Amino acid sequence: MTPKQLSTVIKTVNLGKIYQQGAVPVPAVRGVDLEIGAGEFVAVTGPSGSGKSTLVHMLGGLDKPSSGEIWLDGRRVDTLRESAWALLRRKKIGFVFQFFNLVANMTVADNVELPALLAGSSPKEARARREYLLDALGLTERSDAPPSQLSGGEQQRVALARALSNRPSLLLADEPTGNLDSRNTRDVLRLLGEVHRDGQTIVLVTHEARVASLADRVVSLLDGQVIDDGTIAVPRRRSRGGAGDVVELR
Amino acid sequence: MSTVRASARWIKADLRARRGQALLAVLAVAGIVTALITSATLLEDSTNPWRGLFTQTDGAHVWIHAKQSPDPAGLAALPGVTGVAGPYRSAPVTLAQDGRKAPVALRALPVDPPEIAHPVVREGRWLDRADLDGVVVERSFARASGLRLGSPFTVTALNGTRHVLAVAGIAETAEQGFYPEWTPGLAWALPETLDRVEPAVGLSESVIGLRLDDPEATRLVVQGAVTLLDERIQRISTWREVRASMELDNRLLGLLLALFGVVGLIAAALAIANVVGGRVLTQSRDFATLKSLGLTRGQVMGMLLVEHGSLGLAGVGAGLVCGQFVTMLALDGGAGLPLSPMPTAAIAVGTAAVVLVAVALPAWRGGRTPPIPAAPAMPPRGHLSRMARLALLVRLPPALVLGARDAFTRRLPAFLTTFGVAVPMMMITIGLGCWATLDNFLSHPEQVGQAAALTVKPGRLPASDAERLIRADPGVTAFYPGTEVDALEPEQTRTVPARAIGTSAEPYPFVVVDGRGYAERGEAVAGQGLLDLLEVEIGDRVRVTVGGTPLILRIVGRVVEPDKDGEVLSFGIDSLSAKDALPPEFYSLVVKPGVDAEEVRTRLLAASGQNLEVARVVNPAERLAVIRVVIVALVVVLALIGLANLLTASALGLRDHALDLAVLKAMGLTPRQVAATLVTGTGVLVVIGVVTGVLAGASLSNGIINLQGHTSGVGAGIARAPSAVTLLVAVLVAVGAALLVALIPARRAARARVPVAIR
Repeated sequence: MTPKQLSTVIKTVNLGKIYQQGAVPVPAVRGVDLEIGAGEFVAVTGPSGSGKSTLVHMLGGLDKPSSGEIWLDGRRVDTLRESAWALLRRKKIGFVFQFFNLVANMTVADNVELPALLAGSSPKEARARREYLLDALGLTERSDAPPSQLSGGEQQRVALARALSNRPSLLLADEPTGNLDSRNTRDVLRLLGEVHRDGQTIVLVTHEARVASLADRVVSLLDGQVIDDGTIAVPRRRSRGGAGDVVELR
Repeated sequence: MSTVRASARWIKADLRARRGQALLAVLAVAGIVTALITSATLLEDSTNPWRGLFTQTDGAHVWIHAKQSPDPAGLAALPGVTGVAGPYRSAPVTLAQDGRKAPVALRALPVDPPEIAHPVVREGRWLDRADLDGVVVERSFARASGLRLGSPFTVTALNGTRHVLAVAGIAETAEQGFYPEWTPGLAWALPETLDRVEPAVGLSESVIGLRLDDPEATRLVVQGAVTLLDERIQRISTWREVRASMELDNRLLGLLLALFGVVGLIAAALAIANVVGGRVLTQSRDFATLKSLGLTRGQVMGMLLVEHGSLGLAGVGAGLVCGQFVTMLALDGGAGLPLSPMPTAAIAVGTAAVVLVAVALPAWRGGRTPPIPAAPAMPPRGHLSRMARLALLVRLPPALVLGARDAFTRRLPAFLTTFGVAVPMMMITIGLGCWATLDNFLSHPEQVGQAAALTVKPGRLPASDAERLIRADPGVTAFYPGTEVDALEPEQTRTVPARAIGTSAEPYPFVVVDGRGYAERGEAVAGQGLLDLLEVEIGDRVRVTVGGTPLILRIVGRVVEPDKDGEVLSFGIDSLSAKDALPPEFYSLVVKPGVDAEEVRTRLLAASGQNLEVARVVNPAERLAVIRVVIVALVVVLALIGLANLLTASALGLRDHALDLAVLKAMGLTPRQVAATLVTGTGVLVVIGVVTGVLAGASLSNGIINLQGHTSGVGAGIARAPSAVTLLVAVLVAVGAALLVALIPARRAARARVPVAIR
């Protein structure tokens, strides 16, 4: 299974981002060409300041590129306006952030149902999807709790459920384990592996090589440029799956 | 649809999370709308009982009191007159009740109520031939005198004979104002009864009412009537005077409320903008998350508008209901009609618009939140404020220095908080000023033109005896002979009350605000109302006719005049011709300070063997007592508004310092010091706001109260600033309450173990 054989989910052409810091232009991303196929699990790594987060924000339309093109499901999207991007995100993109970013006032259940509702599901469908996801993530009994009563690991699992609630074609995860202890990291990564096996396309940003090694393909960034893009061929691991992955990871 | 569902979820969750704040917002808006509705109702003509009464009674626009029965046909033939009531015979009698004596006009009306100007019976029944002793009493007079159905109505005619009649009914009329503002009291009896009480036709007058097709033509008709009847006319009153006398209290109250309402609305708009703005700032992370989930800028803004706007609209709705309710209470279910739909709609729409505008700006800002939730909120610019440098210089504790530094890091919110506290505080100070003015009315009546505490009428005693008795009383410092007469105003179209009191050599101690007191014959002082009515200024001469004698008076000063809308002309009794001046109708007695007027009254009554009539002067503040209730209610509403501002300020402070808290603790600050830092941050702003508000209020309050005095005819010069102690207490209470409110979240934050930085 190589990327070329798959239909392309997202493609960037010479993507660049320059921040203005006072009068000084600071390039964060420089000429990134990337093509990610359906069902791929791509890790974007690099030291801090290498532009990984900026890249993934641009892929999700949270940040506007300064130059280059972004194609999502065969459609050019970098020219979209903010609101058009928002509408696109409802249907096609799920986000997981480092600091979980659950809506503080809403219960776990509401947080998870929200993207499904936005994507156009009926309340009943959204509820069913939420129950399924929370059950799969072992959070059913916490569904009425406010996020503030949850541990970091639990919050991140809820965030993952929320990101998957609208059945996105692309899941973007920005340092999802950056704020978790090793046990919770393991749990979250196991979950990511599981959804990937179900065919979910994932782009994961991390600076930890250990986390990146879970992916099919690792893209390394340095100073905003791709310095390495390689597929890790470990078919054995994928076919077995389960807890074995984690054991090997440690 | 999908957005609506998602937004509804979020709004529901957010409201649930801040029930108290939401309730506060609704209450504040509701309070303001209530004040506005009530004030508009009180100000509007329709609440003036006159209009309702005039319609119900098919009233007459002009009432003429003449010596002999005038020819109604001649008056009816005047152009513009559509109907005539009367002429009715009316005799002056004195009602004796519980040792008090009150002048009453006993008027003869037929058994069948007339078509025009028929009194409407509120209790009991109309006159009946089967009960010749039955009288129907005008309602305000009955109420003031404590007369009920069946009460004995003992009257003394001019010839001294006593007649015991009984109250058969209580009715209302639009032909004269309410007792005691309008005297004498009015009672109706059958012609047969009146003939028995006062057989001498010469001692009674004839009263005739004219109904006009165009009320604006009153002046012309009155001139026509004056030409026709000439010498026989004793007194003329028009519907305008009746209406004005009925509306006095409402008007003053309405003005006060309107002032509070409008400024309150501004304060509420600021508070709402501040509260929503603060809320939006503290929630910017959530908005970023929502946008990353796919909400557009417009949808976030719409969501905020709906949430906060609907709170405001709920407040408007609640206010409309409360307003109706309060109005009903305030009008005592009386003859007032409810506020007409136009002003109600205007207030509702206006307030709603103000609320929405106040909400729109922060909502727009919320919509513009960048969608990257990971980005930390804009860190406050951390330069050391001047306050902090000063605090450092005087070696204040670190918590204070840090708090003072934080207070001004965000300029706009700091300004909004200060302003948001200052405006309600200013209004509260003005309210206290009104309170102090009322207190001053009561404690120093001499400063509002009521030097005399007692009025003595000689009754059956000769004037010399009365004077001797008064002079002999140890509690009386001074007494001034006086007579109240009706002066026909220059154009002879209506009468103004004229008060001859004191003498040029020994003038009555009026409170002269402009010009000087009268000191010679032919000089007079007037209230603001009279100056406005006659359109004259100090120094002008007016020509009036008193009892047929022309009198030219020069107005030399304006006095504070609490009676009769200030439409009173006062001069020395020696300015009158002797036939009008002697004997004096009454004596005004100034009681020694510290002596109870009631004591003097009892003593005088005893000394004269109940022959003197001694009455206490009614203080205008007693009628305005309801203003105190209004002031208290408004202070509560304003305090709510200030509180809402404060909660925002402290929430914002917490948010800005969330990142610092961990650092502060790491630096070695105890939880208590951390809390102190947070409290100082809001406290500094509150203190500045409160002090500014009090200073502004204190400097404005006199001007505003005097303006109200001017409009109500009493005249400027009545205002008293609240005492320094009161202001100090107000400042301390406000600051103390503010600090307490700020302390609760601060303590919670300081104790929290979770690093608040990562929410």
